[in-house]
Amino acid sequence: MSPPYTELQLDALRELANIGSGTASTALSSMLGRSVDISVPTARALPFADAVDAAGPAEEEITGIVLGIVGDMTGTVLLLIPPADADAMCRMLGVEPDDEYALSALGEIGNIVGTSYINALASMTGMDLEPTPPATATDMLGAIVETVLASHAIANDIALMLDSNLKVEGEDCSISFLLVPDKGGVELLLSRLGLG
Amino acid sequence: MGELAASSISGHVLVSLGLGSCIGLALLDRKLGVAGLAHVVLPQSQGHAPENPRKFADLAIPQLVTELETLGARKQRLEAVLVGGAAMFAVSSASLDVGQRNEAAVRALLKGLRIPVLATATGGNRGRTIRVDVSTTSVTVREAGGKDTELLAGTRALETA
Repeated sequence: MSPPYTELQLDALRELANIGSGTASTALSSMLGRSVDISVPTARALPFADAVDAAGPAEEEITGIVLGIVGDMTGTVLLLIPPADADAMCRMLGVEPDDEYALSALGEIGNIVGTSYINALASMTGMDLEPTPPATATDMLGAIVETVLASHAIANDIALMLDSNLKVEGEDCSISFLLVPDKGGVELLLSRLGLG
Repeated sequence: MGELAASSISGHVLVSLGLGSCIGLALLDRKLGVAGLAHVVLPQSQGHAPENPRKFADLAIPQLVTELETLGARKQRLEAVLVGGAAMFAVSSASLDVGQRNEAAVRALLKGLRIPVLATATGGNRGRTIRVDVSTTSVTVREAGGKDTELLAGTRALETA
């Protein structure tokens, strides 16, 4: 059984997620022209089946934007936006939700927000990290999360999920982030944070 | 994810919600009214002894067959239904065609066990849910925002009291 992460390690990872989402919220704020708040991130190390359940009701429809991380560490950043919130954000960018550009507007939001998150991680840890281009899907939450986790499901069964929430002020509108590092990635992050 | 269940109890419904690249494999002994469902995440365990063997096709399928046999199912009567194996994100990348690889691995293993595939709802880029009704051995599938569609009709009448 792979060693679970200690509270101290999870705290450090939470702090990392905090800074990542703080930077991301600034980027989202300038993009939308609105104030964006962040919630305190959660850091969970869970067996895969529980990780999918922890993300929310499996059949709930949600918009997911996924970016890969390459460089000193590999992994995935998954942004989850409820469809109504995704529509609201499109409108804030001046794009109607059923417009043909709506999907690429969302991809762009995902790109900018995801990239600033990854850049923050890189500068916090001194690692060389680059995002890969985003891909978007609107579908069942369970299917989206499990597909992302499955691409990391190699030797071990535990998924590390760092979950932050960005809320657009004045709107009932939020984005959830999941950072899913590949197994070696977590160890690397922790050692860069002095807790390996 | 990476779970499996078998049942012979009337009234039980086996479910895998939100299948993306994973395959929900239903194995049915329709004559006896016994059904099993495996939620397969990856095609091969690649030799190491994994912590959760049931998420790999090559380990989950034999285990499911064994559990069904324990409930009285006969391997020769088993039939399969596959749901899932989608590419949720339309980006071509090695890790994202795992849906297709899962389907191929499951089909190959079933062929080796001589278990016929009766119906499938696989591929594409939509998430799906599979429900197997043990009493009737019917299988239904649902996509996001959609309604249940019968993929395989039940062959057994519901038991009356």
